[in-house]
Amino acid sequence: MSKGHKHSHSGDGHDHKAAPTVDEITDYEVLEIAVRELAIEHGLFTAEDHRKFTEWAESIGPAAGSRLVAKAWTDPAFKARLLKNGTEACKEVGVDWAEPTGFGTPSDYTNFIVLEDTPTLHHVIVCTLCSCYPRPLLGMSPEWYRSTNYRRRLVRWPREVLAEFGLVLPPEVEIRIEDSNQKCRFMVMPVRPEGTEKWTEEQLAAIVTRDCMIGVALPRPGRTADVHPLHKARRPVQATTQHGKAAE
Amino acid sequence: MSAGSDANLRPIAFLEAIRREGKEWDAIAPRYGVTNPDPPWKTSLKAMCECLAASGALPTLTRRHAEDDLAQSVYNEVSSAPERELLALVHTMLVAGLVTEADIAGRMRTVRSRLESA
Repeated sequence: MSKGHKHSHSGDGHDHKAAPTVDEITDYEVLEIAVRELAIEHGLFTAEDHRKFTEWAESIGPAAGSRLVAKAWTDPAFKARLLKNGTEACKEVGVDWAEPTGFGTPSDYTNFIVLEDTPTLHHVIVCTLCSCYPRPLLGMSPEWYRSTNYRRRLVRWPREVLAEFGLVLPPEVEIRIEDSNQKCRFMVMPVRPEGTEKWTEEQLAAIVTRDCMIGVALPRPGRTADVHPLHKARRPVQATTQHGKAAE
Repeated sequence: MSAGSDANLRPIAFLEAIRREGKEWDAIAPRYGVTNPDPPWKTSLKAMCECLAASGALPTLTRRHAEDDLAQSVYNEVSSAPERELLALVHTMLVAGLVTEADIAGRMRTVRSRLESA
């Protein structure tokens, strides 16, 4: 597709520019396809297995990370093991960083560290260089995590950036940013919120959403990954007339 | 592949040619106004690594050791991680005898022709 190509939605009366794409085929792209096809032909793996792994890699979510935090909240011995050696402790929730589930960790040495929040210390993770992320636990990173806006500004103005996510922390809470890299991945273990004292691991895991483990949100009873209206607009748009004008 | 041996870390001509072109994603994407930090083939590359490990053809740790060695030597100047991983993977597969240079060269011509066909 050429750069700046205009794309028309016939019938809906609007034109817009298509998103830009790289309009050349590099040898890297060709090499990846060529080697994969040869590997399949040589019987090293099958096309279906490759599709399955691709599908899996792009669809794993943050459930394992949520289980990890919920287990640590309810099991002090596990929490101690997790903080001492995150990579090993992950095996207890079924995540082995050295096995195929170790997607996205090209190093031979994968160091995974859980950052424990306290009432006066809050962690946030970022990858200022590219998009390193604890994928075996949290799945694919969100678009905004990979944006220059987040990567560049979080380390400079953490309070302001967190406020843009709706997380306003009091001045007495220290904010610490951890910069992920190819060798070392981080995840945030937030403080267990009040009002969850008798909850089961399953209940707790439901409120430990992806953003809580990145550090741009805090877990709260009643807040899960399910989307539902939380706030009613103070000044909603008035009922419109047939001509689209706001009613007086 | 035994990590770190001189033979394994010897540059391979056709991979060097690709490297020297400098067509890494982080270099070309901005020219087209593309902001996605990853090339579209990255997930496929990762899945290929996982498949090779899962089938027993190339264990994960063997690949990672080789990649670490190669990334610090032959492909040290490749700025973009996915391209560095791809070059290291192919390099490792060639040294291990899983594929040959002639096979890859021939297949690359076929693939490029297919991708450029009208």
